[in-house]
Amino acid sequence: MPRDPRYDVLFEPVRIGPKTLRNRFYATSQCSGFGSDRPAMNAYHRAMKAEGGYAIVHTEWTAIHPEADEWPATTGRIWDDDDVRNWTLMCAKVHEHGALAGIQLGFNGKHTFNLEGRLCARGVTQIPSDTFWAHSCYEMTRQEIAELQEFYVVAARRAEQAGFDVVQVMSSHNAGIAQQFLMPLHNKRSDEYGGSIENRARFLREVTEKVRAAVGERCAVSIRLCIDTLHGSAEGIRVEEDAIPVVQMLDDLVDLWDFQVGGRTMAEWGDDAGASRFFKEGHELQYVAKVRPYTQKPIANVGRFVHPDEMIKAIESGVVDLIGNARPGIADPFLPTKIAEGRTDDTRECIGCNICVSRYEQHASIVCTQNATIGEEYRRGWHPEKFSKARNADNDVLIVGAGPAGMECARILGERGLRRIHLVDAQPEMGGQLNWVTKLPGLGEWAWVVDYRKVQLGKLKNVEFIPKTQLGVPEIREYGAEIVIIANGADWVASGLGNANDEPIPGTQGAPGHVLTPEQIMVEGKEVPGRRVLIYDTEGYFMGPSLAEKLARDGKQVTFVTSYPEVGPYMFYTLEGVRMNRLLHSLGVELVTHHVVSAIEPGTVTGERIYAEDKPVSWAADAVVLCTMRASRAGLYRELEADRAALQAEGVQALYRIGDCVVPRVVAECVFDGHRLAREIDEADPAVPLPFIRERRVLGKLDQDYDAVVGERGIDHKVSSLVQRV
Amino acid sequence: MRIVVCVKQVGVLGDEVEFSDDGRSIDPEFLDFALNEWDWYATEEALRLREARGGEVVVATVGEERADSALRRCLAMGADRAVRIWHGGLDAQDPISIAHALAQIVEEEGPDLALCGVQASDTLDAATGAALAGLLGWPVVTVVTGLTCDPTSGTVAIRRELEGGLIEVVTASTPAVLTIQTGINEPRYATLRAIKQAEQKPLAVREIDQIEQAGAVIKTMYIPERSEHAEMLGGSPPEVARLIADIVKQRVG
Repeated sequence: MPRDPRYDVLFEPVRIGPKTLRNRFYATSQCSGFGSDRPAMNAYHRAMKAEGGYAIVHTEWTAIHPEADEWPATTGRIWDDDDVRNWTLMCAKVHEHGALAGIQLGFNGKHTFNLEGRLCARGVTQIPSDTFWAHSCYEMTRQEIAELQEFYVVAARRAEQAGFDVVQVMSSHNAGIAQQFLMPLHNKRSDEYGGSIENRARFLREVTEKVRAAVGERCAVSIRLCIDTLHGSAEGIRVEEDAIPVVQMLDDLVDLWDFQVGGRTMAEWGDDAGASRFFKEGHELQYVAKVRPYTQKPIANVGRFVHPDEMIKAIESGVVDLIGNARPGIADPFLPTKIAEGRTDDTRECIGCNICVSRYEQHASIVCTQNATIGEEYRRGWHPEKFSKARNADNDVLIVGAGPAGMECARILGERGLRRIHLVDAQPEMGGQLNWVTKLPGLGEWAWVVDYRKVQLGKLKNVEFIPKTQLGVPEIREYGAEIVIIANGADWVASGLGNANDEPIPGTQGAPGHVLTPEQIMVEGKEVPGRRVLIYDTEGYFMGPSLAEKLARDGKQVTFVTSYPEVGPYMFYTLEGVRMNRLLHSLGVELVTHHVVSAIEPGTVTGERIYAEDKPVSWAADAVVLCTMRASRAGLYRELEADRAALQAEGVQALYRIGDCVVPRVVAECVFDGHRLAREIDEADPAVPLPFIRERRVLGKLDQDYDAVVGERGIDHKVSSLVQRV
Repeated sequence: MRIVVCVKQVGVLGDEVEFSDDGRSIDPEFLDFALNEWDWYATEEALRLREARGGEVVVATVGEERADSALRRCLAMGADRAVRIWHGGLDAQDPISIAHALAQIVEEEGPDLALCGVQASDTLDAATGAALAGLLGWPVVTVVTGLTCDPTSGTVAIRRELEGGLIEVVTASTPAVLTIQTGINEPRYATLRAIKQAEQKPLAVREIDQIEQAGAVIKTMYIPERSEHAEMLGGSPPEVARLIADIVKQRVG
């Protein structure tokens, strides 16, 4: 289908200094967890966005110098000529697909760990980091400031040498030292680098001047600038009082502005990488619009833009020139191409769950709920839009359970041309647990995981969804499939079992009406009796906090008891934690951390405080909701597996299981599980994942020729044609 | 009892549509093909009657070889055998021509009941069933939402849907033609085994004896002109509601 001509504006080229962007799709810097130490994983990962149509693809935050050491967080590094050598692979791969390569030069001042090199952190003023415990910095002298600026210049020269087209000075996310100079919260200096906004902007001006003088004739120079930290007070950056003068002062020095909003503390950069629970598409535009009149240069801005209608609004209103994408390009690296070709219904829209960020925050590498192939471009050789015809495509497949794992498995098996795939579910609609999880407050956009797959499965003529059909062991055996895949999910337990309670909690037996599970409330619609509700959460992610929000909004008086030191600890990895805690406080929820529930009686719940177990605690509660753990529905697979002869007698040649019925996990891992099995369904033993390439130094071996390694796996990343349906 | 279920393979529109060269139909290149939704319910109803009373379910269609997949679908659900009838000169868009062809099969089979869907989702004529009954000289009951057979009296007690949520209860003598409404039952899905077994079930192909004059002829198809006057209403739901109310007041007075 030809694209809507209204979207043509998105495909206009944009000049930035000595370079030209082929369209308005701008892949921002984004921490994926590969860094320059795993150059092939990084290069193939970044190049996928270039292949998918982005005009420019940036590195992650890249440390300019050994003093900018964030280990064990995996970041880019451009410290020496060997780093240059590694970065050339990314630049070459990105250029192969006609995109520009950009590098973000980072130095985090007082937030620098220096755990690897054991060097001291240079800072603006000696005030400890608000992010790490027992960690501080030294206040730089003028000479040390000049040295630091020289680090940037050397790094910029190296970046040019590696092949980067755009060099970006980072002054954002309450992390970059240039921003620490800008913020009175961090800057208490009385010399020419502190005090007035002119003085506080001096470091950024000088460093940008020097970088521009070094590489500006051949590379475009940009600044990623935080234009409002959302403090709402003079300690932070305020768009009108601070950002506008800075932009006016520095406008001649940059070829491009990359604006960003939010980050009261470094931990709150989720106000920029906003979770869908709190932020809608284009949420930063209201701030950028205030700066727009004060610059002559193109502006890029993120805000989880996934819909072309929102993108053209942002551009046609004159607020931005470039559509900044980090997460939307993770969920779908081919977003620009799909819009260009009028195939927006094929877009895997970012749901804003931030599971991608959560992995970086744990110093691991990137994953995505929507896109199982992200991060697997090199090591598993997966391409998000290309599928090979399965060698066993003449088989019929039965998938029991149409949740995220089952749907994704059916989609990939369909793409791989299996003869007939029946996706069977007891419910009338596909989606599994997402059909009710998405009814929790703020999680509506998570339904896009189901919507995308419904559309795609509808296009695959070899896939059929069979609703309202509960298959038991005999029906599965006799269904007529050669391959049977069990994907029947998991349930929240009603006994209180979990990592803090290794025995059922007394008072939960016999299904008392006042003790409920999330599913009893959300699926069965059971009434939560009384006014006082106690939620006991030892799972640690969103379910407990989400139900607390829901029940508080329903008018209940909610007490939230958790064994963890934080409410919803995993939500701090997804950058939802701070806002979720603030929200629950504002809704009047009593938050009780570090406590374990030991018994439930009608009207009363008793427990104990961790580290003070000898002092029992009790809470008055008319109802208790247990969010302690989910248990796999493991029985169906086990029963089928126990009698393989009976399966074979009916013609079933293979039996597999995927998703929560194996281990209850985040949705991203269930989608991955279904995808992985389908990608490898024609291997010798599909139940066992193929080994992936481990990118590492191997003693006694030469550096690997990455293309040769990938070639051996039969992967050709140079093919530029799009979706190949088999 | 023997039941003939008359089914149709319908065209399902995709994102893009182009007309055939003569402008009288949609280019099949741009269509997906599926069993008509109403016929799925009709087949299920026939299978339930057979399961209750014994007998045979024969599915019949008028169409090219492509239509076999719709018949196989019904065979996989459990129909006993299938008949497809075709003639290159037939106007496949004319319900009267189709009814003539189906009447030839029904007369050959001599069933107690002929079930059709109320209508086909592509043409929406809702004419074939009634035309078939007329050609056969049998009673017809349309838009059937429930039926019970009485084998002793040879009659069928029927509930049929009327406008405004009304239900009419009628009794018809057999043989009769009934057009079946969606929702009368919950049609079964075919397992993979049943789909495989259906490939082995008999599917007879017949030539149409005589091509009759078409009852209705489509002369041309075209895309209606699009009005350029679309106004997008924005704002909160109450604001949008107010804007709509203003427009209605302005237009209606």
